[in-house]
Amino acid sequence: MSDPTGIVENAIDVRALTRTFREVTAVDDVTMTIPRGEVFGLVGPDGAGKSTLIRMLATVLAPTSGEALVFGHSVVSDPHAVKPRIGYMSQAFSLYGDLTVQENLDFFAELRGVPRRDMAARSERLLEFSGLTEFRKRQAQFLSGGMKQKLALAATLISEPDLLFLDEPTTGVDPVSRREFWRIISGLHRQGITVFVATPYMDEADRCDEIAFMTQGRIILRDTPAGMKQRVPGRVIEVAVDDYHEAMPVLRALPCVSSLEISGEMLRVLVAKDAGQCESTLRDALASAGFAVHHVTPSATDLEMAFATLIPAARGAADTSDEDILAVAE
Amino acid sequence: MRRILAIARKEFLHIIRDKRLLIVILVMPLLQLFLYAYALSFDVKQLPTATLDLDHTTTSRQYLDALQQSSYFKVDNVLTAYSQTDSAFESNTDKVVVVVSAGFGSDIAAGRAGNIQILVDGSDANSAQLGSAYAGALSRVFGANVAVSQIEQKGGSASSAGGLSAAVRTWYNPEGVSAAYFVPGLIVVLVTMITVLQTANTLVKEKEAGTYEQLIVSPISRIELMVGKIAPWAGIGALEIIIIALIGILAFGIPFRGSVLIFTLSSVLYVICTLGMGLIVSARATTVDSANQLAALIGFLPTFMLSGFVFPLSSMPVALQFFSYLFPARYFMVITRTVFLKGGSLAILWPQIAALALFATVIVVLAASLYRERA
Repeated sequence: MSDPTGIVENAIDVRALTRTFREVTAVDDVTMTIPRGEVFGLVGPDGAGKSTLIRMLATVLAPTSGEALVFGHSVVSDPHAVKPRIGYMSQAFSLYGDLTVQENLDFFAELRGVPRRDMAARSERLLEFSGLTEFRKRQAQFLSGGMKQKLALAATLISEPDLLFLDEPTTGVDPVSRREFWRIISGLHRQGITVFVATPYMDEADRCDEIAFMTQGRIILRDTPAGMKQRVPGRVIEVAVDDYHEAMPVLRALPCVSSLEISGEMLRVLVAKDAGQCESTLRDALASAGFAVHHVTPSATDLEMAFATLIPAARGAADTSDEDILAVAE
Repeated sequence: MRRILAIARKEFLHIIRDKRLLIVILVMPLLQLFLYAYALSFDVKQLPTATLDLDHTTTSRQYLDALQQSSYFKVDNVLTAYSQTDSAFESNTDKVVVVVSAGFGSDIAAGRAGNIQILVDGSDANSAQLGSAYAGALSRVFGANVAVSQIEQKGGSASSAGGLSAAVRTWYNPEGVSAAYFVPGLIVVLVTMITVLQTANTLVKEKEAGTYEQLIVSPISRIELMVGKIAPWAGIGALEIIIIALIGILAFGIPFRGSVLIFTLSSVLYVICTLGMGLIVSARATTVDSANQLAALIGFLPTFMLSGFVFPLSSMPVALQFFSYLFPARYFMVITRTVFLKGGSLAILWPQIAALALFATVIVVLAASLYRERA
């Protein structure tokens, strides 16, 4: 069964997907759809079930119950229709260390049935855009962490999949390589490829079209990054102060402060939206307590702050009723 | 087909890039070959021997001279009293004590059997067994010679002298050369070790490295994966057999008396069995360690212990003998020894070949079904 473009709108359609390992429910009754062409980010703590969810969608792992359709094909009953259209990059480096860069690419091209006449041109292009051209004769085990990940991505892309599953692709990769990696993903996005990426990094989540927050096997929040931030009840003020650790109890004691977090050498303070001239209140309180205040300026809400405030609320809802989570997730 | 070739080529690259593996494949078999053929020689020569002559006649001295001249015994201790035999064994200086009883010379002269005692050190079972057999054989030869000369003196013929004489003759390997016995057997053992162990490892390694998931998300069937993975090992198994056979023939002077066709056919069947066994292990095992242990358990141990390679099957408990029928090694062992040392035609070897064919079929079907269900 083929699916001419346009008939199936969603790249992924997950229905009550569940996977248990003995006693543990790693993925618990997840239902969601992901439209074509989207870069979808999955965030959540370690052990939340992100990898298990991805592995089921990538046909690596069989679900315990429930169903998932990828481009309209079931990963349970029709995995062979799914496999040719997807690429999957697992969390661990999963190429052959004793094979060279070129041999790895050739192997996956052959394995995934890339037409012979296209092989050379494609691997040339992928090496080019991943910056690995000059390392093509090097064994993969001797590449740096960032290069390994780019090679893994290139090997995944050699079959030109329509949907890409990336499981924490930049974990352990230096910041420069991470930026480059995301530049590549943005390029894929422009080509219309759907990307499903699990990431522990908020700056990466921020680059996605939509993000979902997963914890304890469930997706408890889903929105665009901007939507997530807008949901935060209040605004953020950035405070630069000496001895910021000691300053925290002073700020917490103020009635207009609902929460605060440390960001580098500064404090980010969440205050109620209608708290008017809160900046001067913060400054005065710190000054009278004897702290040297450098600046107090309004700032934008970030995802970290959004999750910090939204997740406890969503969890509370999850504890009271299952219907509510679905409402939040939709 | 293209995917199978891609897998096979990748496996081949793994093999040639792995120095340790190359040593295991190429150097280890040679090492074992020379070890078994030379160092672990089961031939007994120059067995340290003590003699005790209680007869002191010309005949008794003739007998002991004959003993001394045979290359099997090295007489390094001449005892004078029976009580000294214990200390000869206890000090580990001698493995055999040959005692010529008083009256030996007169018994022979009277046409009766002369009495010889052969005492062996049972703590070294192999030397003891062979030592007593050799000394016994030597005694019979000596006794027969004497008898024959006496009969001729009386003007009769040898056959009319009556009496029974048992003679042991080792056919096919008349000199009892260990190498002739071990090299054909070693082919079986080494091929089993390498093919079972390596194919058992091949998939588990990918599982541990995480590359297995990449294979799973690819549009390749389990059977294609299986065939691609074992293809290089089938080639290496064949190469191994050819190398050991050639070294055996050229360096150790082992004969090859049988049909190359029968040998090739049964080798192919046997390698299919061992590769299949490796794949079954690979499908079941979750770590390289457990794969190695399982491979040793179903591959190496039965081949070493239950194939007749070292220990004759006929002298085993009946239960173990039945158990040995469950492993293909014993059939291939019979075939290799037969084609090298005896010859043997299809008419003689067909039961073994049929058994191998049956094993190959069952193992391949089992391996394939295990792989399919692990989708």
